Amino acid sequence: MLAEALEHLVAGVVDHPDDVSVRTRQLRRGRLLEVRVHPDDLGKVIGRGGRTATSFRTVVAALSSDGGVRIDFVDVDGR
Amino acid sequence: MSDAGTELDAAQERESDTGVSLAKRLEREGDIAADYLEELLDIADLDGDIDMDVEGDRAVVSIIGSGLDALVGENGKVLEALQELTRLAVVRETGERSRLMLDVGGFRANRRAEVLELAKRVIEAVRSSGEPESLGAMSPFERKVVHDAVAEAGLRSESEGEEPRRYVVVMPA
Repeated sequence: MLAEALEHLVAGVVDHPDDVSVRTRQLRRGRLLEVRVHPDDLGKVIGRGGRTATSFRTVVAALSSDGGVRIDFVDVDGR
Repeated sequence: MSDAGTELDAAQERESDTGVSLAKRLEREGDIAADYLEELLDIADLDGDIDMDVEGDRAVVSIIGSGLDALVGENGKVLEALQELTRLAVVRETGERSRLMLDVGGFRANRRAEVLELAKRVIEAVRSSGEPESLGAMSPFERKVVHDAVAEAGLRSESEGEEPRRYVVVMPA
């Protein structure tokens, strides 16, 4: 549910919504949601001073029933 | 299409933009915001009804229901973040800055009532003492409520300090 919610939140604000995908990875230290966006949208989802990225993290953390989730933003070319 | 043609189209579009009434524009903002939020509620399996309104020159969208505390957060922190994202979703569609206000579970409505109560007391105190008085740290929304109340009472006010510790000082007229 978290990945789907995050994908919806991100896709709603970018210029290339079809390029948005979210992958959930289980790390030793907990869950990581990896958000991929079009290269032109990366600045937009991070925002001035990381403000928009913080907003995504705040909302997703609020929806998470079992605590901490890490969110990384990468562009679709990112490895 | 030639550049000249494109420019002409752009000019015509601007003209028709100004012809669109403010009410229509705010209504559209509300619709876009409602779609964005409705789907989020759906995905998160949260129960809430979406109410749209216009207050002065801004669209107000409220998610109404109980069990929405998570979307408000401590001191409305989650609400502010969700409002920020909702405004971005609106801007993506309209291309124009949005001052849309989001409320969840009546949080802002309640805060407004509390802050107004406080503002009234401080306004009276400043009137009788003639001395400026500082209030505690407040969110941008709460400060706006105070500034509006002070202006209506005919006194002056200013915001001082840095976020998130920004506060309002009420001064005699």
